[in-house]
Amino acid sequence: MVDEIKKTLQDIVTNIDGLYCITFTDRDGVPLLKVNTEKAPEHVLKPSFISTFCIAIDQGSKLGLGKTNNLICTYNQYQVVQMNKLPLIVTFVANQKCNIGQILALESQLDPIVSSLTLIVSEP
Amino acid sequence: MGCCWSLFCKDDNSLQNCEPNERTHLLVDPVSNNINIQRVNSDDLPSRLSNDLPKKTDEQSALTRILQETATNVIDVAALDTHNLQQHEYLERVKTYNIKVQHVLTSNRAVLGTKLKSCLLQDIPQPEKCLASDLIGSEDTNLVSQSVDAALNAVNDIKVDHKEDLVVPFGLGLN
Repeated sequence: MVDEIKKTLQDIVTNIDGLYCITFTDRDGVPLLKVNTEKAPEHVLKPSFISTFCIAIDQGSKLGLGKTNNLICTYNQYQVVQMNKLPLIVTFVANQKCNIGQILALESQLDPIVSSLTLIVSEP
Repeated sequence: MGCCWSLFCKDDNSLQNCEPNERTHLLVDPVSNNINIQRVNSDDLPSRLSNDLPKKTDEQSALTRILQETATNVIDVAALDTHNLQQHEYLERVKTYNIKVQHVLTSNRAVLGTKLKSCLLQDIPQPEKCLASDLIGSEDTNLVSQSVDAALNAVNDIKVDHKEDLVVPFGLGLN
């Protein structure tokens, strides 16, 4: 079943122009499920980078704007989208030309996987 | 002390009447809203002085509470500490997650299988690229239409050349 899901994710990655990788990690950045192309930058997928999302949204909640749902960072070469599915973090890495709207639209499609993986992290 | 008292009184009156004056706070006092700190009027002072000790501890705890709340509400980027995982801890967790992912996804196979069916329609991320692409040249169009015509003619020309009976008695010839 893992292979099937990985294949589905791989299809999504190939269908979206410019998307390099989708990872499901826990709040410390430890990966549960990861699908990526060769072009995905490795340093972005390190736990130390992914876990900064938690710190950022913790601080962001103090602004009084409500809960942080998604964090989109655009750089010169890459775009990183992180979704708040705590205790999970879903991270997408794409190139600078990728259509972010398409990535955000994946949220509902990935919900079944997220809810299954949440069980793993929330288990003691 | 008298001045303080009069200020409080005025404040209270203005609050009751809802009429803003020069002493009305422009901003709502966050401390008095969030935490119930008993304001001490000078009338109460003699009675309060007798049990000074509990009052002090109350005040102390209230102050600590204020301090804690302020600390949690302040965004201090410099003071943020990043919790870095140890290498062995990371590897251990990856291993346990792998096992659990396998287990959980297999047990949820029925639910996931139906929900993950990919969509037949496909998004075009940059439609302007497709729309702005060059038109097909007339030569190419002719080539395509000629080949299609030829293919169609070929398909129409297919005929069955009937030579033998379709139903043959089987195994009778041996006897």
